[in-house]
Amino acid sequence: MTNANQVRRGDPHSRAAVSNRRQFLTTAMKAGALLAAPLIVPGAVLGKDGGVAPSERIRLGGIGIGNRGSYVLSCFLHEADVQFVAIADVKETRRQSVKKLADAKYGNTDCAMYRDQRDLLARDDIDAVLIATGPNWHATASMLAANAGKDVYCEKPCTKNISQSLALAETFRRTGRIFQAGTQRRSLPNFVFSIELARQGKLGKLHTLYAHPAGLHTVSSGWLPGEDEPPKEQVDWDLYLGPAAWRPFNKKLLDGFNFEKGGGMTGGGCLEWGSHCVDLCQWANDADNTAPVEYEPKDGKLFARYPNGVQLILRNDGWLPLGSCPVRFEGETGWVETGDNGDIVASSESLLAGKGQKIGGYPADFHVRDFLECVKSRGRTRANADAACWAHIACHAANISLFLNRKVTFDVKKCEFIGDEQANRLRSEALREPWRI
Amino acid sequence: MMLTNSSQNFAAGQISRTGQTGQTRQTKDLFSRLLSLTALLACLAAPSPLRAVDPAGTAELRLKLIAVLQSDAPPAEKAITCKRLAVYGNRDAVPALAPLLLSKELNSWARIALEAIPDPACDDALRDALGKVQGRLLVGVMNSIGVRRDAKAVEPLIARLNDADGEVASAAASALGRIGGEQAAAVLVKALLSARKDVVSEVAEGCVRCAEKFLADGKAAEAVTLYDTVRKASVPKQRILEATRGAILARGAAGLPLLVEHLRSTDKGMFSIALSTARELPGQEVTQAVAAEMERSAVDRQTMLVMVLADRADASVLPTIRKAAQSGPKPMRLAAITALERMGTVEVVPVLLDGATDEDRELAQAAKAALVRLPGKQVNGELVARLSQAAGKQSRVLLELAGLRRIGEALPAAVKCAEDSDATIRAAAVGAIGLLGEEKQAADLVRLLEKSQTPRDREEIEKALVGICGRRGANCLPAVLPLAQSANSEFRLIALHTLSGVGGAAALNAVKSASNDQDEAVQDEAVRTLASWPGNWPDDSGVAEPLLALAKSGKKQSHQVLGLRGYLEYVQAAKKLQSDEKVAKVKELLPLITRSEEKRLAISALSAAPTAAGLEMLVAFAADSSVAEEASLAIVTTAGKDDLKGATKELRRGALQTVVEKSKTDRTRRKAEEALKRIR
Repeated sequence: MTNANQVRRGDPHSRAAVSNRRQFLTTAMKAGALLAAPLIVPGAVLGKDGGVAPSERIRLGGIGIGNRGSYVLSCFLHEADVQFVAIADVKETRRQSVKKLADAKYGNTDCAMYRDQRDLLARDDIDAVLIATGPNWHATASMLAANAGKDVYCEKPCTKNISQSLALAETFRRTGRIFQAGTQRRSLPNFVFSIELARQGKLGKLHTLYAHPAGLHTVSSGWLPGEDEPPKEQVDWDLYLGPAAWRPFNKKLLDGFNFEKGGGMTGGGCLEWGSHCVDLCQWANDADNTAPVEYEPKDGKLFARYPNGVQLILRNDGWLPLGSCPVRFEGETGWVETGDNGDIVASSESLLAGKGQKIGGYPADFHVRDFLECVKSRGRTRANADAACWAHIACHAANISLFLNRKVTFDVKKCEFIGDEQANRLRSEALREPWRI
Repeated sequence: MMLTNSSQNFAAGQISRTGQTGQTRQTKDLFSRLLSLTALLACLAAPSPLRAVDPAGTAELRLKLIAVLQSDAPPAEKAITCKRLAVYGNRDAVPALAPLLLSKELNSWARIALEAIPDPACDDALRDALGKVQGRLLVGVMNSIGVRRDAKAVEPLIARLNDADGEVASAAASALGRIGGEQAAAVLVKALLSARKDVVSEVAEGCVRCAEKFLADGKAAEAVTLYDTVRKASVPKQRILEATRGAILARGAAGLPLLVEHLRSTDKGMFSIALSTARELPGQEVTQAVAAEMERSAVDRQTMLVMVLADRADASVLPTIRKAAQSGPKPMRLAAITALERMGTVEVVPVLLDGATDEDRELAQAAKAALVRLPGKQVNGELVARLSQAAGKQSRVLLELAGLRRIGEALPAAVKCAEDSDATIRAAAVGAIGLLGEEKQAADLVRLLEKSQTPRDREEIEKALVGICGRRGANCLPAVLPLAQSANSEFRLIALHTLSGVGGAAALNAVKSASNDQDEAVQDEAVRTLASWPGNWPDDSGVAEPLLALAKSGKKQSHQVLGLRGYLEYVQAAKKLQSDEKVAKVKELLPLITRSEEKRLAISALSAAPTAAGLEMLVAFAADSSVAEEASLAIVTTAGKDDLKGATKELRRGALQTVVEKSKTDRTRRKAEEALKRIR
């Protein structure tokens, strides 16, 4: 979700990026790319053949669409079976900007604008929502949307603490709605290929997984001196704060990106990239329904251990130059490392057979497509609520260990830290009134 | 399926995650997790039963934090103090926190601590506040009571169910649902019939949550009754869907008719919730029922039901999915292929193989992709066994799969197929050998090359040889070196490409010899090979001498240029050369470096060898307009080093000043100026 990355990468729908995607779509199923091809139901299965009648389109709303949200929204707008119909944002400039984009796309003035997301969610003609608010709102807004009967694509990090992670999974089970965490690397060929090597035993018995957390310092947003609050129509401060504890308006807190990221005393930390990289390690270790049981900060790294004995190491350095969000999986007979530039490096050239075409720049198109297919098929997305729940629990537990600056032991059955009340108290945090999950 | 109590369900969930395999694992797992998550949330919500710990220093810190709350400290300080008390507070902090519940500014902060501290005093404080606050603050207090599941609060919450403020009434319903129990359930059911429009959704959700708690506590019958009440009530559609799911799951095996009823529903929402519920409800009879529904449904629903079957991972349904994959509408066949892959067993291999040879390209590719990804050595064994019996198209597919799946056991069959009369099979076989083979197969390929009849065969064999040589290195020399001596110049060219992959001294000698080959095309290729010789230093440092010779006295200008380039790249990368030596070698070649391409390579080499002499040479390059910017950038990096070997400050300043004055790039000039400031 880093703005800098977004700028560095440029417009993902530039000619080059689109070309890349087209090339991938046309070559992914060639023999050389078979391993890398995403495991999604082919579009033809669900009748996606280009021309889609308006009545067959998925009607989409947006909630909190800023920099990152605009990019993901552009991925949705490129899909023929999507009709974007409404935007809810606490900031007027963003509402206007998204409406302008949508109206220009469809050649009409139909895109509705709402300050309060609850008004958008009350519409029964909207099937799904893209949530790209700041992290403060992600979990609460996702659960509000599910309870209102909407399918959800939500940017990461998706939750602020362990309790929210569990509630997210439970809510999506109860409501039967589709959830896709914005962890798009789960749909990118280089990551999928590397994970398949680990899962299929081609690296031998796994023993160590590495994830880049992009920082290991926990932070709290705090309370800054009050400033003159703008009119609600321009910026609705109360709605912006949402579930976060009250504090006076201060424009420094308005960036959304870092505000209450993770909440509590343990925000930030490894959540920024960890929600991607730890998530990928979870998948590689076939651990989408569990999390590490031990966490210990040491020598500027965070060491964790899974119930199956596999070690997870969060480290900021020691990586091959493969771009942002790198991961590395090591087994008894081989290793593989990959990152956002799309390259894959492995202990043996033979491991790389069939790796397919390189796609760098971590586009979200494939992930968005997976979500849309599942909205139609009611199938399970790649980054479904259960997988997102446990990946985030791993990150939150790591952050708690970092905040307490000591080893913590986690019981994955009870979802509690063993004999550690301080750690346990950090598992959840009260929401400001009137919000609840 | 019997539900007993939550702890047994937790245990069941754990066993299915770690101990069981096979057809029912996934569905049991899903159902266990359903219950586990519900009960886990309850664990988190309730005050932690864990033994209190009080590490050294915490008591003192706590007293200080409480004192802050009781002082005239500004709200900002009190707010952050509340957060810290969430971790370090105990019942002693409650009297200081409770008054803050009346503050619009600090209510939410106080609740952070009061929700977290595992002491009944917090419940008392929150309950007490119910009669003291109104509006949103009251909503907040009730939300916290709900999170803490304070059973003593049921009566006061009931009193608020008919509050004129819809938000307050809704919060009361929500809190009652979270607390659960017979009294709360009875009141919520009653309220369901009379609730206002703005409250009814929360009342229904409260009922659903009560039912979940009944289920988690082993009271399935009570849960069923409650779910049925909600799904038949006049409540928002989404609540009905949730109650329907609950009603099916709470009934266990007896919920199957209700599931089937909704799988047949013409209502899109009901059908959707039935699909997700069908993934959760365990039991082989459920799988069979879903399979039966699939066969009787319209195509659009069939594809969705096939995916449900795939997620259930129940082997008993294999014949149904196999049939769906083999015939019928293409969309369903594609979905069935995906389902077979998800089943992930060796039994799906034959039908996927049939699919992989289908005339329809999309179907064939989907089946092949599934075969590549199917896990397990058993799958490999099955594919190898079939390879020895296969012919035609299937043979080709199997060979391709053998390569992509890295099935070493398939090599003997692949070598045999490499001499097949069908050119497409020969190509597939050689491709597989290239991916799987070792030195023995390299020798086999050389023999095949000598017998090859067509350019395409030779092309495929060359690719395979290069692949093997790249992996196996010097082990392949005995097989490849004779090719370099072949009377056939085409083979000698192939030898050069493979030797480049082998690397090392012996291969290098063979390539050097080839630079004097009688055939000019071989000479040219040998020079190109030398110029791009693999940089596995120091093993390959022997390439320096022939490259230097080529640069100085190559037979053709193109040989000289290639030699010069290769040599400069060697100088830059060679790890054994000291910086002074690198600079000296570049200096020696300066008379030969006349084109901007080689000048850039020289600048790169000098950048990799930061010395005073190198810096002087870079300054000289900066005067050359064709490479001035590259040289300027290199000067900034080199002269900016405080420990630059042998360089005086004057030399460094002078070099940087040159950049400031001459560079046309703002960024480079700015960097030079910054570096200059640092030297001063």
